[in-house]
Amino acid sequence: DTITTTSSLTKLFNPTDDHAALREMVRSFTEREIEPQALEYNRSETFNSSLFRKFGSHNGGLGILGLTAPEEFGGTGLPDATAVSIVHEELSYSDPALCLSYLAHSILLVNNLAVNANDEQLARFMPGICDGTKIGGMCMSEPNAGTDVLGMKSNAVYDADRDGFILNGTKMWITNGTITGKETGDLFLVYARTGTEKRSDITQFVVEGGMEGFSVGQKITDKLGMRASPTAELVFENVFLPAKTHVVGDVNGATLCMMRNLEIERVALAAMAIGIARRSLDEMIAYASNRPAFGKSNLYGFGQIQKHISESYAEYMAGKCYLYGMANGLDLSTYGNGLDADGVKLYCAQMAKNVADRAIQVMGGYGYCGEYTVERLWRDAKLLEIGGGTNESHHKNMARDLHKLDGNKLE
Amino acid sequence: MKKILVPVKRVIDYAQKIRVDPSKGAEGVQLKNVKMSMNPFCEIAVEEAIQLKEKTKAEVVAISVGPKQCTETIRTALAMGADRGIHVETKPDVRGDYINLQPWAIASLLKGIVEREDGVDLILLGKQSIDSDCGQTGPLLAGLLNAPQATFAAKIEAGDDGSFTVERETDAGTETIKLNSSVKPAVITCDLRLNTPRYPTMPNIMKAKKKKVETISLEDMVKELGLDLDEVLTPKNEVVEVYEPPPRKEGELVGSIDELLGKLKEKGLVA
Repeated sequence: DTITTTSSLTKLFNPTDDHAALREMVRSFTEREIEPQALEYNRSETFNSSLFRKFGSHNGGLGILGLTAPEEFGGTGLPDATAVSIVHEELSYSDPALCLSYLAHSILLVNNLAVNANDEQLARFMPGICDGTKIGGMCMSEPNAGTDVLGMKSNAVYDADRDGFILNGTKMWITNGTITGKETGDLFLVYARTGTEKRSDITQFVVEGGMEGFSVGQKITDKLGMRASPTAELVFENVFLPAKTHVVGDVNGATLCMMRNLEIERVALAAMAIGIARRSLDEMIAYASNRPAFGKSNLYGFGQIQKHISESYAEYMAGKCYLYGMANGLDLSTYGNGLDADGVKLYCAQMAKNVADRAIQVMGGYGYCGEYTVERLWRDAKLLEIGGGTNESHHKNMARDLHKLDGNKLE
Repeated sequence: MKKILVPVKRVIDYAQKIRVDPSKGAEGVQLKNVKMSMNPFCEIAVEEAIQLKEKTKAEVVAISVGPKQCTETIRTALAMGADRGIHVETKPDVRGDYINLQPWAIASLLKGIVEREDGVDLILLGKQSIDSDCGQTGPLLAGLLNAPQATFAAKIEAGDDGSFTVERETDAGTETIKLNSSVKPAVITCDLRLNTPRYPTMPNIMKAKKKKVETISLEDMVKELGLDLDEVLTPKNEVVEVYEPPPRKEGELVGSIDELLGKLKEKGLVA
């Protein structure tokens, strides 16, 4: 309970004791171990992989990499969108970049496998990506195809003699694509075209680091934000993928895999936005309390400062309630809740950027400097309007979904 | 070793700014809508108990005396690895920060619980709580039980013979004490440098739900232990006044070393 949340909202954000305990644990870990390193890794554009591995279940780690994966395969067995939201919100309070790598791994890779893979694949791949020894992500976008997902050119051709697929292509903007900048990450889900009849003839494959023909094209540097999260262009040259073990779901059936994962991905990104907004608010509220001006001991008497702070708070709470209201009812094993998944990310991403911007404004010259955190949050927030679905893709999806009401009114 | 008891206290979170309402007199410290957490020294005690459990397979029982929300505190201990909990539930208006419950009452309750549990080898407590800062519950408990005790432990080694070798930090330096194995239980209070408490991992948070927590009202526990409720709830010491420390006064600027020495002499700070 805090002075700013009534207990009914506390229940919304932490529906059960387990959720409250999870939030407490992640918040504590973030404060002690993530906060102190965030600025440095942002400056050097390097990935703190040893800290990342502490999210795994090895060596007394937190055990949150496999949050939504089945217990029997090394996960935590909690397919719970609220828990996902809590972790992403809390991590992003200090280091959205590290959180982005966590998202790419735990949602884009682990959760996707948990929902779409068969038991043999789960037994083979899940333990390593849950315990922290293997780090990976998912490859969908290409240099020339982002929002137009089905415009992808990477292709996999079936070779009957070897009972496998030969994969060729390039993927772009891959989070965790490289860990050190030189070799690829350990495990990826890769979407590639396997048929030419329909645009949607796409298959999802598992590609392992070390496979012949799989390499890093380049580590992408000089990013505006999320600089401590490693982004790469990945190259596939005649990579051989055995059909029996490295095809996830049905051949030509990957759009189903995609659909099942997009909603939780958007929820996680929206949760990151909430963490960014909360931090920005804490910073501007504290700064305004301690800054003297015009003979007053703080800034709270000035109308523009009142406006920045109060509007930021209301927008943040609106987004937070939308997020948890939606996440609390989300069943990860189904899909079809796209409208609110798109909506919550569309709203929260822009909101976080605006709140971070107001924080910089309230903090003036200090807000403009790295040491004071909010400029990094502002730069990190911008990614949320692009990655995991551009604003424009949400517009497209949501308008289509609302058009389908077909004359009926909203609830 | 068979059984370790760890009393844990729910206190205002160490990072919170304490606010005092001057109109409330002795009860001025605001507890409403303030973040509460497990006392940091109790966390260290829980961690030590779990480490001992990992070596000896002892059962670890977490105990808390306080309002309904203490179940959260016990659950944190369970999520760190304790096996079960006992919650002595007080009425919501009973304060544990020295206003109502004080070390003597807690030590008396704990003595009764130790005997009720039977077969306790060790009681690990934090050296003090960060609200009352008494540091008395451990030593009082040891006195009531006639137990061997060591306070401010910075290192604990459990011997195969049931003895405990404790390095304790004092103002004069570190001393090593061996607690006699033939007298059980032993009482040890834990200091900052003893260990770094683990985070409750997610799988353990989920497992904690299934662990047993016995909740018993203070009234029922007092009755069961044959204590006097009035005795327990009437504090031995009365808090007379609570106030925020006065704000730091601005310093004085001096122009030279001589002037500095002059001022120091004037204020009687140097001869």
